[in-house]
Amino acid sequence: MVKKKESIVFLFLLALSIILVLVYNNIKKTNKEIYERIEKHEIAQISTIIHNIEQYIRDSYDIQDSKKLFTVLSDEVIRNHHEKYIMLMMSSNIKYTYILYKDEKDKFRFLLDASKADKANFNQKFDVQNQEYFDIYKTKTPQIIKQKDIENLYLTYLFPIISNNEVIALFSVDITTDIQNSILNSIKPLENFFILLIVIVVLFMIITILQLFHYFVTRKRVFTDPLTKTFNRNYLEELLLVVNLKDYSIAMLDLDKFKQINDTYGHQAGDYILVQASRIFKDSIRASDILVRYGGEEFLLLIHNKNRDASALELCERIKKNIYNNTFLFDNHEIKVSVSIGLHKHPSLEKNLQEAIKLADQMLYIAKKNGRNRIEIYDEKAKNCDSTLSKDLLFVKEALDENRVLCYYQPIYDHKVDEILKYEALVRIVTQEGKIIPPFEFLPQIKGTNMHYKLTQRILHIVFEKIKESKKEISININFSDLTNQDIEESIIKYLKSHPECAQKVTFEILESDEIDDVELFKEKTAMLHSLGAKVSIDDFGSGYSNFKTVIDIEANYLKIDGSLIKNIDKNDKDYKVVKSIIHFAKNSDMQTVAEFVHSKEVYDKLIALDINFMQGYYISPPQAMLVKSDEIFR
Amino acid sequence: MKILLTLFIFSFALLASDTPIALKKQILEKVFKNISLNKELVLWCDDKNLLSAFKEDSAFKTAQTPESATLLILNDKQALPKSIQNKAVFALDYTLLKELPQSFGAMFWKKGRPNIVIIAPRAKNQNILISENLDSYVEDAVW
Repeated sequence: MVKKKESIVFLFLLALSIILVLVYNNIKKTNKEIYERIEKHEIAQISTIIHNIEQYIRDSYDIQDSKKLFTVLSDEVIRNHHEKYIMLMMSSNIKYTYILYKDEKDKFRFLLDASKADKANFNQKFDVQNQEYFDIYKTKTPQIIKQKDIENLYLTYLFPIISNNEVIALFSVDITTDIQNSILNSIKPLENFFILLIVIVVLFMIITILQLFHYFVTRKRVFTDPLTKTFNRNYLEELLLVVNLKDYSIAMLDLDKFKQINDTYGHQAGDYILVQASRIFKDSIRASDILVRYGGEEFLLLIHNKNRDASALELCERIKKNIYNNTFLFDNHEIKVSVSIGLHKHPSLEKNLQEAIKLADQMLYIAKKNGRNRIEIYDEKAKNCDSTLSKDLLFVKEALDENRVLCYYQPIYDHKVDEILKYEALVRIVTQEGKIIPPFEFLPQIKGTNMHYKLTQRILHIVFEKIKESKKEISININFSDLTNQDIEESIIKYLKSHPECAQKVTFEILESDEIDDVELFKEKTAMLHSLGAKVSIDDFGSGYSNFKTVIDIEANYLKIDGSLIKNIDKNDKDYKVVKSIIHFAKNSDMQTVAEFVHSKEVYDKLIALDINFMQGYYISPPQAMLVKSDEIFR
Repeated sequence: MKILLTLFIFSFALLASDTPIALKKQILEKVFKNISLNKELVLWCDDKNLLSAFKEDSAFKTAQTPESATLLILNDKQALPKSIQNKAVFALDYTLLKELPQSFGAMFWKKGRPNIVIIAPRAKNQNILISENLDSYVEDAVW
């Protein structure tokens, strides 16, 4: 928009400056024309006077040749008479008027000088510089010499004195630049005005050009990722408005185990790998394809469907192969990298680009889950997902990139000792405007995408750091699918092994849901968490697919009873009975119980009567950005 | 050659005139290169600026005093000491050429144009030889 506005202003100024230059040029032309008209008029006037004088002299003395003229004018009295007469006839812009003749040696000599100043003697030699003095003897017609370098002379008019068809002498009249100067002076203010206008317009043009230049430089900077020199997400947002998805396939590319590279070799190595991998991506694609750094180690590739249908997959295969075959050398370390790719060959079938990106990202997630260094292609025939809230994928992505993901902490209260046992970390996103967004507004929309596990990794990092800093116990919610993600598992193992004091203080609250289709794997993962020293809690127990046998088998430390059973326990007798049964079951299975959604004193009292172990809810304390202390609850 | 010299002199008048003194000096140089005295040409001028111009950059020697010069360039006849009344003079004014019998030539401006006049009999009297390159400026008498 800015570009358009600036361009219009620039074109307007350009047109205006052209018009002004043309007007200025016209003024100059008119100036010249005025000179020429005055000159013509002046010459015509002089010509008439001189012709009369010439006739008078010739007829008065019966002049037949130059000798006779010389003889007549050698008489000082006659000369003075004619000089005075000529002087009277001439106007004020005539500086010199004199009669010259050419002697036998072709030297010009004064016969008569009617000039008021710088008067020459009779027969004094006069060195002439212009050919016109000689030409007049041949042409026998008046000659005009435009003077340029002689004092303030504008032109010299030569008029032949002819007798018997021979030029016997010539009148020479030197006209001053006075008229020229007076015209110039009168037009000068107008000229200056136009010059000033042109200068101002040109200045504005320069300013506009500079603004346009600055706009394009800034635009390039705004749309380019400074590290990889690929396009960034700002460009993607511009692209959303103009791209025709029918022309493209889209692929989400993610460098495998990138976090591990950063942790092992340092961030400089990570940056180096990103730069080199981007270069390989760029070398592997065509000029018509668009590569965007989507964030971190994730790239979005818009593959132009120039040729046949298979080209998008071929291009992805080429990228995967080129990355895999390359050995990255950093600080004497040979680093091997692979890339996982989620491909959507027909994004135009989706509602918009964001929707297509979400699906490609889901494919990327599957590629990661299925062992990395592979390409998963979206099958649009099997499409059955809700795409209404696809913008949340980008929303979470931006929040991760701009470090706007944080955790709130809700205390879990031990009523028997009147102390806070631990805290539950609850994810929040702060919008660019500073508004706090709760998880139910974005988590469902990113479920099953690569973004979900990136968000989980970020939460793990935040909570681990919080435990390290506060030495308090904190629970983290984690999906079973996240727990089976190799990257997340590796992150947990690596961190807890290197920080055993943290392991003692962390509880993984695993949602008990239909996702747990592989019970053996579920047991294996919880055993792994136990082996690291971490505690395990079964979240939302009692509401969904509760499997008592599995819960006993995994030897969870806590059972967190689903909030839907707790919130009406003071009114609903059936809920009361279910909760009572769960508490009984937990006690018999050596598990402690946690009640969530404790929102009132009535609920709180009922739970104490049921001998629940721990409670959390707004009645005790809402989630806070900071870890609240025991004396800050029940307010 | 004459035409060439004439063109040269006038082209100086038109082009080389950064200052009137420089122009005057250049025209005079061209004239003096085409005359020969029976002794070395040593110039003196009553115009200090013109003398300085000759001193700074010229093929001719200059003298501090009129007595030690062989050719005097004069603007004003008052500047001519009585002791050296017979030294060759090149005038910078046509009237001076008329008034000073020992002046053999003059360079001056007439109607805004540079003019050169060399009086042949006076030059001869002073044993000054004039090259034929200056023929177009040579006169038999002062008019």
